[in-house]
Amino acid sequence: MIAARANSLSKIYGDGDTRVTALDAVDVEIGAQQFTAIMGPSGSGKSTLMHCLAGLDSVTSGQVWIADTELSSLSDKALTRLRRDSVGFVFQAFNLVPTLTAIENITLPMDIAGRKPDPDWLNTVIDTVGLRDRLSHRPSELSGGQQQRVACARALASRPTIVFADEPTGNLDSKSGAEVLGFLRRSVDEFQQTIVMVTHDPNAASYADRVLFLADGRVVDEMFNPTSASVLERMKAFDTARA
Amino acid sequence: MFRAALRSLGQHRVRLLLTLLAVVVGVAFVAGTFIFTDSLKQSFDALFNAPQPDVTVSADSAFSAGGQGGGPGSGADQTPTVPSSLLANVTAVDGVASAHGMVTATGALVLGKDGKPVGRAGPPARAMSWLPDQSMSSLSLAAGQAPNGPGQVALLDSTATSAGVGIGDTVRLETPGGQLTSTVTGLVTRGIGGSDGGTLTVFDLPTAQKQMLGNTTTFTSIAVKASPGVSQAELANRLAPALPGHLKIETGAQRSADIANRLQTAFGFINTFLLAFALIALFVAIFLIFNTFSMLVAQRTRELALLRAVGASRSQVRQSVLVEAAVLGLIAAGIGVLGGIAVSQGLRGLLKVFGADLPAAPLVIQPRTIVVSLILGIGVTLISAYVPARRAASVPPVAAMRDDVSMPAKNLRIRGIIGAVLIVIAVLSALSATRDLSNNMRATQLVGVSAICALIGAIALAPILGRWFIGLCGMPIRGNAIGNLAVENGRRNPRRTAATASALAIGLALMSAIGVLAASTKASVAAVVDDTIGADFIVLGANFQPFRPDVFAAVKNTPGASTVTYTRQIPLAVGDDQGVLTGIQSGQFQQVFNLTMDSGTADNLLPGDAIVDSDTAKRLGISLGQNVPVDYVSGPGFLILRGTYKPAGPITGWISDVQTLTDAGGRDLDSAIYVRSAEGADPTTVKASLDKELAAFPAVKLQDQASLKDQINQQFDRVFGFIYALLALAVIVAFLGIVNTLALSVFERRREVGLLRAVGTSRGQIRRMVVIESVLIALFGALIGLSLGLIYGTLFRKVLESVGISKLAIPTGQIVWFVVLAVLGGIIAALWPAFTASRLDVLKAIASN
Ligand SMILES: Nc1ncnc2c1ncn2[C@@H]1O[C@H](COP(=O)(O)OP(=O)(O)OP(=O)(O)O)[C@@H](O)[C@H]1O
Ligand SMILES: [Mg+2]
Repeated sequence: MIAARANSLSKIYGDGDTRVTALDAVDVEIGAQQFTAIMGPSGSGKSTLMHCLAGLDSVTSGQVWIADTELSSLSDKALTRLRRDSVGFVFQAFNLVPTLTAIENITLPMDIAGRKPDPDWLNTVIDTVGLRDRLSHRPSELSGGQQQRVACARALASRPTIVFADEPTGNLDSKSGAEVLGFLRRSVDEFQQTIVMVTHDPNAASYADRVLFLADGRVVDEMFNPTSASVLERMKAFDTARA
Repeated sequence: MFRAALRSLGQHRVRLLLTLLAVVVGVAFVAGTFIFTDSLKQSFDALFNAPQPDVTVSADSAFSAGGQGGGPGSGADQTPTVPSSLLANVTAVDGVASAHGMVTATGALVLGKDGKPVGRAGPPARAMSWLPDQSMSSLSLAAGQAPNGPGQVALLDSTATSAGVGIGDTVRLETPGGQLTSTVTGLVTRGIGGSDGGTLTVFDLPTAQKQMLGNTTTFTSIAVKASPGVSQAELANRLAPALPGHLKIETGAQRSADIANRLQTAFGFINTFLLAFALIALFVAIFLIFNTFSMLVAQRTRELALLRAVGASRSQVRQSVLVEAAVLGLIAAGIGVLGGIAVSQGLRGLLKVFGADLPAAPLVIQPRTIVVSLILGIGVTLISAYVPARRAASVPPVAAMRDDVSMPAKNLRIRGIIGAVLIVIAVLSALSATRDLSNNMRATQLVGVSAICALIGAIALAPILGRWFIGLCGMPIRGNAIGNLAVENGRRNPRRTAATASALAIGLALMSAIGVLAASTKASVAAVVDDTIGADFIVLGANFQPFRPDVFAAVKNTPGASTVTYTRQIPLAVGDDQGVLTGIQSGQFQQVFNLTMDSGTADNLLPGDAIVDSDTAKRLGISLGQNVPVDYVSGPGFLILRGTYKPAGPITGWISDVQTLTDAGGRDLDSAIYVRSAEGADPTTVKASLDKELAAFPAVKLQDQASLKDQINQQFDRVFGFIYALLALAVIVAFLGIVNTLALSVFERRREVGLLRAVGTSRGQIRRMVVIESVLIALFGALIGLSLGLIYGTLFRKVLESVGISKLAIPTGQIVWFVVLAVLGGIIAALWPAFTASRLDVLKAIASN
């Protein structure tokens, strides 16, 4: 089963002197119920790929599917609805609406849609992120790690087809990072979620089932069942290639 | 630092312009008032050089020439005259080159093609005699010939235009001496100072005497020209011994100075009013600027912290913000001065509408105008930016390193305490004012103090009240995610919400307070008309001008009219106290008019007997039976006080028998006719018959109680309309403040908006979120403003009870309208910020750096 797919996806920013090819005819398939990590040097196009896959950004050429929906033909309204109902997001920072409590942030996409969350699933998610005693707190009253866990819970609460996370542990210490990653892992193992995560951290990548390596806007390699060591090894190859 | 400050100004151009607008409006009104006044002075100088008699001889009286101004029921008109035989005495004086008798009077109506008087209600319909010597005449012929003989007339060019006639046409004129059909022989223009927007007819001297004064043996004045080498003052000195002592001998220079003074006094009132309005606008501006700078500083926290981290001192940071403010103030003051030119032109136009047509004069922009404008513009901006600047300086350098940059929110406790204390003072002074209403002045002042304390107190408490109010108001929409977000946004920055709402509250408070006073005044007038006038119909002169007695004869013979009585009025003065003496037909009057006597009796008033309203009696300190020395236009006299009545309605001041007026030299002109229908007569039939009878008399209007109330109300409406228009501007500025606050808030929260969009909020939902927040702020402002306005409108009405506003009326419809308009205004104010918010680039907004 394929949760998301890109077909010769290109993204070009600017033109003339400032022309940057962020993605160069990328073909990828993201397997459903898998934890996929995307790695690569800074500027290699990881975030761009993720934004294009998630319908946050338009593509220059090529096609993107989420489940069976092709995105390039969708209007802004339809894309918005798709993001609301089929996609979850976790960003590196500023994930939460400061005026809403943790629980309100978690149920936000469903509240916006005017839908009632599934209470059993919601309870499961809350217990898994371990935030039951913090639900009525505002983001400013939560630690960075707790905030990211709330963000993860929000991404999963509506049972989306796919969750995108861009460096979700980038701002966290190793312990909080491990909590967040552990939670993402469990949501794949126990709740059959699909997760795509951009990261710079080989250790974070080791939580994934599969790692895609990007360089200069192309997928240059992939690795299944990675370990920190194997990922680190592969990353070193980039540095030597560049040197 | 300086460059950084300027660059930051450039970054928020539109929003800063909005902020500026309030300052611009305020400064424009101040500058406009100054420019207008200064230019006016300039045109006064021209007065002195205009053609005019070297000396004017007229009857000395306490009353200004041309009779008293109109007002409900004040048909007092009596033109002071001098005997024409004096002309010989004047001409005989050595140093007199020539002398001419003149007539200047009011009450010559020009009838249009439809038989109705032309011109607006308000300014009088004047008539003048043509003065052949052009070097002394304020009139000059623009076209055609001077009138000569009873069948000829010249018209002011604007009068001819409104009547739709030209040279050679005939025109019907209604004068105190009867109706005329005359040929228009010429069109005249008039010089400076005499123009008041009314109509003007010019006859030759004998016609003017006959039609306007009813005789050929008097003038209203004698214009004297000096022989070469004799100065005006010298001529006046030589004339004095040759003339009876009671005459007024005035040089041209004195007259010019007199007119200039009168005009300046009249405009002084308008100036005060406009300056007060300008201060309101500037007060509103303070809130807007405060908000804008607070937000700009909050947005730049990280940048400021970075400056501090690399070594900028606190005072440098503070100064950079203040420099920004000063530049802004400078720009605002500059635009304000330009706006002032427009305002001064507008004032000129307005005065034209209200009747005073001023000669064209160059704009005078004195250095004082510019200096005051700059001080105000820059001062207001600096004051409002001071607190944000201090807050900017208190940003710790470490803030540069933190992610979640937010200004440390200061505790609201001090504000709360100040607010509470002020409210307590307001309540206490209001209580003390209402407890003792006998001293009107003191009570009014106390309510004024109370109002100011309450306003500032409410503004101080607004952040606390706002959180609470918006929370409460938001209750019903909390269930909805977008509603909840909007409510929380409204509550998240209570100071900002409060300042924005306060700006609106000030305008609405004033408007609703005035609304209460206006409604109460109208209700009181209506009640007085109901209570005092027993007549079914009242015949009044157009413009409240007195009219010929044949109207009375016609009305009296109308079938269905039973009691018919007329009143006459002449001006009178008791010492410095100028007033009106109303003459009534004894016996009849009490049947159509209910006066409540406080003392004495109004029955059987003999010539020389009088009653007066209790207020005037108290003011003058006179008692029953007293022989009160009075001044008439014709000279001194006496009235014996027989009673005092409760002041009410169209009749105020002195009342006596008609004969008293005739004895005092009053003319046979009526000011009003009161008619009561016969028992069982159908009012519509009676009205129709009256209308038919009166068709021959275009100078009068038939009123019933309803139309009388309407007419009085219209006069109030015009005054209140003017005030509303100015205050509405303050309210519009306040709405621009909402636009500004929302725009800056959206900018500040763009990351959050991006996040909301990323997780699936539609553009429409984002727009709705901003609009709801705006409406909540507007409603909050309306709540504070309208509550204060209603409370203080009611209190001011209470202390003004004794001056005639006896009834309290709350204009419910109007208040509902204000609320509806606040909501609509809130929606409109949110349109642009909401659009901007919904169009934010999702990716840019969430990009973490
Ligand atoms: N809005 C934009 N306009 C122009 N160029 C852009 C824009 N966004 C990204 N780029 C360019 O596209 C390329 C890929 O950027 P992207 O953000 O996808 O990199 P990344 O792999 O996520 O890097 P990092 O690890 O630093 O986050 C870069 O060269 C970047 O400069
Ligand atoms: Mg990136």
